[in-house]
Parts: sequence; C-alpha cells; structure tokens
Amino acid sequence: MKKFVIKRLLISVVLLFFVSMIIYGIMRCMPASFVETKAMELSQKPGAKSYDEWLEQLNAAYGLDSGIIQGYVTWASKAVRGQFGDSWNYNQPVLQKFSSVIWYSFALALASFILEIIIAIPAGVAAARKQYSLTDYSITVIALIGISLPSFFFATILKWIFAIKLNWLDLYGIVGRMHQQLSPAGQILDMAKHMIMPVATLTIVNIGSLMRYTRTNMLEVLNSDYIRTARAKGLPERKVINHHAFRNILIPIITLLGGTLPSLFGGALITETLFQIPGIGYTSYQCIVLGDIPFVMFYMLFSAVLILAGNLLADILYAVVDPRVRVN
Amino acid sequence: MANEENTKVENMKLDDMQRVKVLSPSALVLKRFFRNKLAIIGMVIIICMFLFSFIGGMVIPYGQSQVFYTTEEMKKDYAGATYISDYMMYEAEGAEVPSDLYSKSILAITKNQKVVETRGGGNLALRPLTGDSFIIYGAEETKNPRALKSKEHDQAVASGDNYFEYDDVAYIADDASGKELLYIASEMAVICKLSLTPYTAGTTLSYDFYKNALLAMSGKEKTFEADGLNYTVEMDGEETAMVFAADGSDYAYISNMNINSVIGGVFLAPDFKEAAALAIQDGAESFEYTDADGVTDTYLLSENNGQYLISRFQETRVIDTYAQPSEEHWLGTDANGMDLLARLMYGGRISLLIGFVVVIIEVIIGMIVGGVAGYFGGWVDNILMRLVDVIYCIPSMPLYLILGSIMDHYRASATVRIYMLCVIMSIIGWVGIARIVRGQILSLREQEFMVAAEAMGISVGRRIFKHLIPNVVPQLIVFASMGLGEVILAEATLSYLGLGIKYPAASWGSIINAVNDSYVMTNYLFVWVPAGILILLTVLAFNFIGDGLRDAFDPKMKR
Repeated sequence: MKKFVIKRLLISVVLLFFVSMIIYGIMRCMPASFVETKAMELSQKPGAKSYDEWLEQLNAAYGLDSGIIQGYVTWASKAVRGQFGDSWNYNQPVLQKFSSVIWYSFALALASFILEIIIAIPAGVAAARKQYSLTDYSITVIALIGISLPSFFFATILKWIFAIKLNWLDLYGIVGRMHQQLSPAGQILDMAKHMIMPVATLTIVNIGSLMRYTRTNMLEVLNSDYIRTARAKGLPERKVINHHAFRNILIPIITLLGGTLPSLFGGALITETLFQIPGIGYTSYQCIVLGDIPFVMFYMLFSAVLILAGNLLADILYAVVDPRVRVN
Repeated sequence: MANEENTKVENMKLDDMQRVKVLSPSALVLKRFFRNKLAIIGMVIIICMFLFSFIGGMVIPYGQSQVFYTTEEMKKDYAGATYISDYMMYEAEGAEVPSDLYSKSILAITKNQKVVETRGGGNLALRPLTGDSFIIYGAEETKNPRALKSKEHDQAVASGDNYFEYDDVAYIADDASGKELLYIASEMAVICKLSLTPYTAGTTLSYDFYKNALLAMSGKEKTFEADGLNYTVEMDGEETAMVFAADGSDYAYISNMNINSVIGGVFLAPDFKEAAALAIQDGAESFEYTDADGVTDTYLLSENNGQYLISRFQETRVIDTYAQPSEEHWLGTDANGMDLLARLMYGGRISLLIGFVVVIIEVIIGMIVGGVAGYFGGWVDNILMRLVDVIYCIPSMPLYLILGSIMDHYRASATVRIYMLCVIMSIIGWVGIARIVRGQILSLREQEFMVAAEAMGISVGRRIFKHLIPNVVPQLIVFASMGLGEVILAEATLSYLGLGIKYPAASWGSIINAVNDSYVMTNYLFVWVPAGILILLTVLAFNFIGDGLRDAFDPKMKR
C-alpha cells in the first residue's frame, strides 16, 4: 500500500511537470497579453514614455523578456520552492490572493456537496427499488435534465424568478449593499442569502450523475444473490434495502465521493462567474481573460493537483472500504 | 397469405427450431432500444432538431446575419433660425469698390457717420433707409452751390434723406462737420440686416432688385422697377416683407431672420420662412406648414440664446432591435435587429456540427491510441497512458477559456473560431475514449478468439481494428452519444461567456449571452428562453439516446 502510494505520488510529480509546461507554453502564446495592455495604458498618459519603451520595461519587470523555455525554468524553479510570485492583476502575492478567496469557493462547494448527497442517494435508491415505475422514470428524467441543463441557462432562470420577479435575492455578488452596517451574525446571514442561488445552480447541475450512479449500483446490488437470500429467509423489504443493500452500495459511493473531495477546493468557474461570487473560480476567470500568467499558472496547477489527488484518494479508498480489493 | 402462415405454424413440431425466432445480436439491441420510451423520445427530439436547423434554415427566408429595419417617428432637427445680427453686403455690378468697403461701412454705421474715408483715399457715403439698411455710394467732394440750394435738396433734407439728384447727377449731402458738404455719389453696394429669398429655387436676385426692394421698403412708394420688371412690396411686419411680381405672383421674401436647413444644400421655400418667422414673432411653440407637395407637417420651435431650432417628427429608418414576436418574426429580433428564429436555426447547425465533428475526431484518436496501447501493453502502453494522464490532468474549462481569449487577441474570424473550437475540444476530449478502449482491449486480448486470430497469422493492424475494436463499439457508441451532449454543452457555455462562437455567426450559447444586460433578461424573455430550451432539449435527447443504448447493449441490469 505504502509503495503504491509513493509510486503514484512520484508519477503525479512527473505529470505535473508536463502539465505545467504545456500550460505555461499556452499562456505565453497570448500575443496581446496583460503586459501589452498595460503598456498601452501607461503610454497614453500625458508625458509618458513611448509604448515600446514601456513594453520593454514591463517585460523585463514581469520576466517576460526571456524565451518560453527559459521563462518556464525560472517559473518552475521558484514554484518548486512554493513561490508563485505576485498576481499582476491584483498586485499581491498569488498565495495571499488565493487564501483570501478560497473559502468562498469551499463554502459554496461544500454546501452543494452536502445537498447533493442528501437528495441524490435516497432518490437513486428509490428509483432502483421500483425499476421502470413512474418514480424511476421521473427520477431518471430529472437526473438527466440536471446533467443536460446548461448552468448559465438555469442560473438565468433562477435570477429571473428570484431576483427580478420576486425580488427576494440579489442578482450578483456575495454581499448586499448594507453589508457593512450589519451585525456579525447578520453579515454571515447576508452572505448565506447570496449563496442560495449559486448553491442551487451547482447542486442541480451536478446532482444527476450521483443520482444515476446510486441507481445503477443499487440495481446491481439488488440483483445479487445475497439479496435474494435475504428475501428468501423472509426479511421485511425495509430491512433488506436499508441493511443489506444500502451498506453494499456504500462501497462505490464512498469511493466516488472520496474522489470528488479535493475538487471542493477547485472552485466552480462557471457558476461563480455567473453570480460573481469572489471565489477562486471567478478570480481565475478574470485573470484568464486578462492574461495574468502567475495567477492562472497557479490555478491550473492547483486544479491539476486536485484532479490527481482525487484519483489517488479514490483508489486508496477503494482498497480501504472494500477489503476484497488489493491494490497492485 | 395469413392463412398459409397459420397452417405452417400448426404443422410445426413443438421443438422445431423455427418456432423460436432467432434474432441477430444487433437486431436484439435495436429491439431493446426501440422498446425504451425515453430513447425514442430522444431520437424524435434529435430528428426534430436536425429538421429545425438544417431544413428550417433552408426554408426560412431570412439569413443568419440579416439585419431588419423598421420606421419610427423620431424628432429630428429640420432648420435653424436666427435674427440676422451681421450686416450683409450686396455689391453693385460693375462698380469699382475699395477693398475695405465692408469694414469702413460697418465703422461708419457704428460711429453714425455718413461719410468716411477709405484706405485708398476715396470717400464713402451712406444713405440710410429704414432700419438697418443703407445704400453705399462712392463719394467725391464737390462744390455746387446751385445744387445745394435746389428744390430737390430741400425735399430730401425735409424727408430726412441725404440723397438727391440734380441735373441728372446724384449728390449726397453731409453736414457732419457743421458746414454742409456736397458729394457726387456713385453707387457701390447695399448693406442691410435682411435676407432675400426668391420663391423659385435657382433664381438669383440682381443688385438692382436688392436696392430697389430696400428703397421700396423704406419709401412710401410700394412698387418698384428692377431689371425692367415691375414689383410690388407688401410689408408683413416691421422688418419682413413680401415681394410680388407684376402678375401678382409671389416673387421673393424679405426677412430679418436667417433661416437655414440643418442639412446642407436644401432649399427652404419662402412660405416656410414666412410661416416660421411669423411663429417666432408670435412666440408660438409650433406651427403648421403645407409644403409644395401638399403635405402638412407640424413643426416644433425651440429657442436657445436667440437661436431658434425648428424640428419635426419624421419617419426614420432604424434597426429593428428587440422586436416583439410577430407574424414577420416569430421569435422577435435580437440586439442587432436579426431574426431570432433564423439565428436559432443557424446556431443549431453549428452546435450539432461541432458536436458531431468533435465526437468523431475524439473517437478516431481515442480508438487508435487506446487500441495500440491496450494491444501492445508494456512500454508503449505506459507512454501512451502517461500522455493520456497529462491531458486528463489539464482542467478543460479554464483551458478553453485561455484559448478562447487567445483567439480574441488574434481577432480570429467567426469561421476560424468554429474550426479551432472543434480541434481544441477534440484534442482535450479523446482521452476518455482512449481509456475505455484500452481497458476493454486489455481484457479482450487475453481471450481465446485472439489466440485464434494470432494462430491464423492475421496481421497486427487487422487484429486490433478488425477483431478487437468491434468488440468495444457498444461502449464507444454509448460514450459518444453522451459525449455529444457534453460537447454541445461546453460549446454553449464557451459561447455564452463570449469566448466561443462569435458574431456574426450564430450559436445558441451566444444568443443567451444577451442576458448579461439585465434589462434584456427582465424584459425580453423571447430572446434567451428559446435558445436555452433548445440547448436543454438537444443535450437531454443525446443523453436519453445514450442511456437507452447502454440499456440495450447491456440488458443484465434489468430485473
């Protein structure tokens, strides 16, 4: 087990090296990047230096005067030591900006994660218990609609209903206009209120896959011999489902959920952007559009780490939860 | 026919093989697929979408970037009017005038002198008429006591004039220096604060006409003769007058206002000027005027620092933005005045095309890489799967966004963007398929039929693509139909964020992009709701089909 984890970690490091190289290469391809925009802006001020002079100076200041490979080596050698530099857009260290925004994303993701589990697992079990019944069909259709729903469309519908027609919630942002005047408890409630629509969007869009996963696994379990035995010995259906079947579907579900745990930190790029929640996703979106290389590099690498960690965690959990599986 | 079959069935034995209808595996799959209600719904939706986008796009008379116009009543400036504050000078034909004629005349008027010296050494004499009108003469000092004492001189002085004719010579008398001096006058110009507009466009008024009209305005005699024709002057107010020709028709309009059209080169009829001047004098806010074509319009007057603006409501051609759904535009028009139904149809083409192209490329790459990796195993597998891992690690949505903004900076055209989007999405997306194919092939290649294939000496390529891959096809088809939905969704999201398909090409996502303006979101539901429903239906249908196919290929899930 230890050997397996160490091997996987080593492979992950190699993968991260290539991933960061590819992303750095792509980022440097942006021709009119952040620096050029800024140089243009500065050169138009009265009495300023010419555009070319500014460009040269800024390129040197931001370390863009070297070639892509050399630039990458510089970046990587610092990144290895945990120095991700300053965000150009925010003019503060990347890690500082990251730690100030990550908790919004985490709260958003955690709330919708818990909601998903509460809703999806019972629904999936219910659908499998009565396969091809009306319940099953409606749950399947709802799950598929959730998967197929464009998040931006659903978010727009929510905004239209709750923010415009009913005027209960705000269209954008994480805090209301009167946030500063509120008591500490009121401030938290204010933020929670602004999280309602993003959480709802994220939950509906993501709930389908867990629902269907639960249903498929439950069907498989319900078809197995030990369930037939349990029924044959006259156990009540409630006990068969809740004790014998449900415990067995926990294995794949815990594996799946464990794998998604790291992604709770990854931020929901689209949903956060739609509601302008200042989490890691929205922050990164702005940096991507502006060409802020240090922040985007950090975010992409962070996401890649989360994906790798999720895979690794899922594999380990698989072995831990189900003793029949031996990692090798 | 039916009877025959019945008798045949009766003749069969109980264990006759023909009693059991044997279906091929694919027929079984099809049968199971068509029993799935959701899958059938999905198929119907997809077929409808294809008809809508491809046939509909051909049938609809509008293009995807055709802009529609509408006419709207808009208040437009028509003319400006000001009281003339500067002197206008009309020079006599053939008169030799000094270069500083205008400035010296103005000087004389302001200083209230009647005779001034020009820079050239000569003299100018002014003959005042009513108001601010003067006739300017070149003056040569002379001594002629007889003329001074003449009857004509006394008459002129009595009527307040300083001009008289004696013995066919024109004289100007001036007593500014205390002693009366006499000058011989030769006409040079008239100067006034009036504008004269002839009735028919293109008529130029001669100096003679000007002078005599001005004289008639100030004198008691209201008729005058100019260029051999007789005219009559009729005063409208203190400073405005109408000149009639001998036959009683309107000939010219004299006014102390300068009225000009806002648009250059437009001739304003004197009637119009007259109506406008009267309205201004009366302090009215609007007036009506019937033009030469018999069209009556209401003109609005507004005043600003002595400047009068004449405006009217005019039918104007404007782009028909956010038109409500109507018979002409079933789903209304968007911000650019383009027909939304047509854009939805063309957008559907792009979405479906991108979906299919991307999935086909993904399947081809994934099949080759996965097949080769799974079949050869060992270091080939290791290298290829690490490549898959690397691409799998890259977060796809941020990457699409980065590439989208790179295309923005390069100002890629709409068509290039579509191609690039296909390429980028397939390059990122094939890894999932490669993994599935590899996993399947790893287990399949250990089976007996592969040993048999190897024993028969079939080449490696044939073994992979003829014997292994067809066994993976069921999973591939399921994955591909679900993947189609995902690709369409990703494309729509990108276009919504403004980094995918761009104007003028249409895309369902970019149509919904209009809701970034919350005014549009609130008031023009018809802009964004249909597009959203179309995306939802299409992706849902592909998921229904994929689901149905999975159940059909793998019936063991059924209880």
